[in-house]
Amino acid sequence: MSNTILKKENIDTIETQKKTEPVLMVSHLYKSFGDNKVLIDFNLKLNKGENVVVLGKSGSGKSVLIKCIIGLLLPDEGEIHVLGENVVEQTSSSLDKIRAKIGFLFQSNALYDSMTVRENLEFPLRRHWIKNNPDEVNQLVQQALEDVGLGYTIDMMPVELSGGMRKRIALARTLILKPEIILYDEPTTGLDPITGKEIIRLMIHIKEKYNTSSLIISHDMNCVKLAADRIIILLEGKCYAEGDYETLRKDKDAKVIQFFE
Amino acid sequence: MIKKSVANNIKLGAFVIASLIFLIMIFYMIGKNKHLFGANFTVKARFENVQGLKIGNNVRFGGIDIGTVKKIEIINDTLMEVVMTVDHKLKKILRKNAIASIGTDGLVGNKVINIEANRLPDHAAEENDILLTQKSVNTDEMMRTLDRTNNDVNIVAENLKIITQKINKSQGLWDLITNRKIAIHFNKTAENIEKASMEANKIGVNTNQIIRKISNGRGILGKMISDTLLYSNFNQTIVNFKKAGIRTDSFLLKAENMINNIESEINYGKGPIHALLVDSSNTLLFKKSMLNIEKGTEGFNEIIDAMKHHFLFRRYFKRIENEKIKSGNP
Amino acid sequence: MPVSTSTKNLLNEVGGISSFAGRFFSQWYKPRYEIAEFFRQCYVIGYKSLPLVGLTGFIMGLVLTMQLRPTMVDYGVESQIPAIVGIAIIREIGPVLTALIFAGKIGSSIGAELGSMKVTEQIDAMEVSGTNPFKYLVVSRVLAATCMLPVLTVMSDAISLYGSYLGVNIRGTTSFSLFWIQVFESLDFYDVIPAFIKTYFFGFAVGLIGCYKGYFSSKGTEGVGRSANSAVVVSSILIFIIDLLAVQITDVLGYN
Repeated sequence: MSNTILKKENIDTIETQKKTEPVLMVSHLYKSFGDNKVLIDFNLKLNKGENVVVLGKSGSGKSVLIKCIIGLLLPDEGEIHVLGENVVEQTSSSLDKIRAKIGFLFQSNALYDSMTVRENLEFPLRRHWIKNNPDEVNQLVQQALEDVGLGYTIDMMPVELSGGMRKRIALARTLILKPEIILYDEPTTGLDPITGKEIIRLMIHIKEKYNTSSLIISHDMNCVKLAADRIIILLEGKCYAEGDYETLRKDKDAKVIQFFE
Repeated sequence: MIKKSVANNIKLGAFVIASLIFLIMIFYMIGKNKHLFGANFTVKARFENVQGLKIGNNVRFGGIDIGTVKKIEIINDTLMEVVMTVDHKLKKILRKNAIASIGTDGLVGNKVINIEANRLPDHAAEENDILLTQKSVNTDEMMRTLDRTNNDVNIVAENLKIITQKINKSQGLWDLITNRKIAIHFNKTAENIEKASMEANKIGVNTNQIIRKISNGRGILGKMISDTLLYSNFNQTIVNFKKAGIRTDSFLLKAENMINNIESEINYGKGPIHALLVDSSNTLLFKKSMLNIEKGTEGFNEIIDAMKHHFLFRRYFKRIENEKIKSGNP
Repeated sequence: MPVSTSTKNLLNEVGGISSFAGRFFSQWYKPRYEIAEFFRQCYVIGYKSLPLVGLTGFIMGLVLTMQLRPTMVDYGVESQIPAIVGIAIIREIGPVLTALIFAGKIGSSIGAELGSMKVTEQIDAMEVSGTNPFKYLVVSRVLAATCMLPVLTVMSDAISLYGSYLGVNIRGTTSFSLFWIQVFESLDFYDVIPAFIKTYFFGFAVGLIGCYKGYFSSKGTEGVGRSANSAVVVSSILIFIIDLLAVQITDVLGYN
């Protein structure tokens, strides 16, 4: 995992984009809270097997975007297509079916304090009615914990774990459903740079192992540099700039430059 | 995880069941007190005034709770019907002529219906029988009576006050009361009266017996006439009689005086009333003597009368009369 | 201005609680039923509160009896202590005291638990995991509180009366069976049933307010503390308001 080489085959990606339907497509998204317009005509495409980073200052509406995608917030206008289904128009039961295919790593991990690590990991499996056979469930839990290298924590409580471990457990819980898309909400926030780097490497490893598509929300340039196939800069509620790391780093726009300083 | 949750559920179940048992116990105990469970039967009673009796009030038979009031209906302007549910066990015991009355549990407690057995025989009560009723003491009426009694007591107390004041003021009475001699005299007098009257009585009885003998036995009669000794004896007896009578008379006079004195002393606050009152044996003696005197004099009178009319004594009486005339007309 | 702001806040609070209650009523009977979670909450809310509720109930019964005693002796109705204490405990002290202790323990813990879940996005995580967090967290807790408080109250009543029995026997002697007979003789269904029914409302109020405060907790650890605190305050006030309403209703219905 340390010797992962990031390949930026821009032309290839553009070609595949043309060939295949994007797994996630956000078009003309509007969202406001009272007078505060957070998203104004926001557009985004995520292709299969692609890592896209949405870069933005805090309070720029990154979290709002990601919560609209997963259906935690209802946009004012616009469409969000996940694997061909419009999230906005779903009933709660069909929304759950879509959600089962999306992994969501919360900024604060959102591990259930009252449950052990095993119960935390079992929770989405049981809740989505996916697996009920105890042996199978156990196997999946073990597998997911092995993926993040924390098999021994299975009967511990979340409070006994360090920040980095909790993040990994949260990632394991996200992975356990074998999602096609994973949404990362500030995966490195609150972690020291070394642990943050470890988490990013883990993300890349998982992407390659399970061939998932990822939408990463971050303002951490380390994360962006390592993980991003493509970067979208979210500014003033709009998609201000788009491109790979190198392209954007060379950009002359003052507002883009401030991210890369 | 699963094992733990099973254990927790067991604890929870035990907890819920324990409290359910207690709740059911509360309901059962109340229900038992209210005679809700088990077979019941209904009896009725009609009252002019139910005095605030309520549905659910207890019904008692001989002081034991046997049921509750189920319904109170107004039959007309002067008649209320109370429907009671009573334990079916009472069916054999309760009679048609049992008497129901409305009472109070304690001084300020709830109203209760008291059913009392009637002494007269009757059939066992049946469903929906209307029992006899007795107008119970109403608190209002009780108060009214109490008020009247109070007034009377007031008057009595007033009079008593006046009397005691009079007694207190009268020096003579106090002297009498405190004078032991008078009391002793009185005592003695009364004793004497008793003795005398007893003697008189005895004499009277004896005489009576003699006369009866005379009347019955002719043999004896013949003897008597010829026997002068007997005659003189008899004469003596009469004389004694006379004496006794005179003595009795004087005693009676004294006693009368005494009684008059007592009466006047009671009335006017001057007399040995205290001595009499203090020594209850005195009064008893006195009473007895009076009775004896009465008896004695009665018997005596009878005898004298009988003698006068008897042919044997007619002569004697005539002679006395003649002597009287002679001595009266010299 | 401050007056109008606080009035606005009050109205906002009342409206928020009402709509939250409305949401509860529109959802609780619909599937999917969180039965396992309901029983888990019953265990946590009900069984785990028993020692605390039992202790306070016991002390209350004992103290009430001992405090009443001198006055009762003065009036010469010492023998009526079981009857009076029985009525007081069953009708008022048992339900209200238990509900207040319950509000202190359960209201705050629900408020803090849901508040911290809200703050750390656990509620969102549940929703993402195909769970209706309102049903999983709120409905199960409110129902558990509603069902458990009456049970706790009955237990507390029983323990209180036992405490009272001991209190009677500190100075005098009353046999166990006579004590209970006297207690039950003084009781009527009209004493027990309204008192029992109102505990359901108390439990509902505590559960609902705790969940409301936690569910809409503001961000940060301070917000969690505030939700726990205001959950206790508001549910305690609500308990007294419900108690007032209950006595009025039973009075109007003539069951007093």
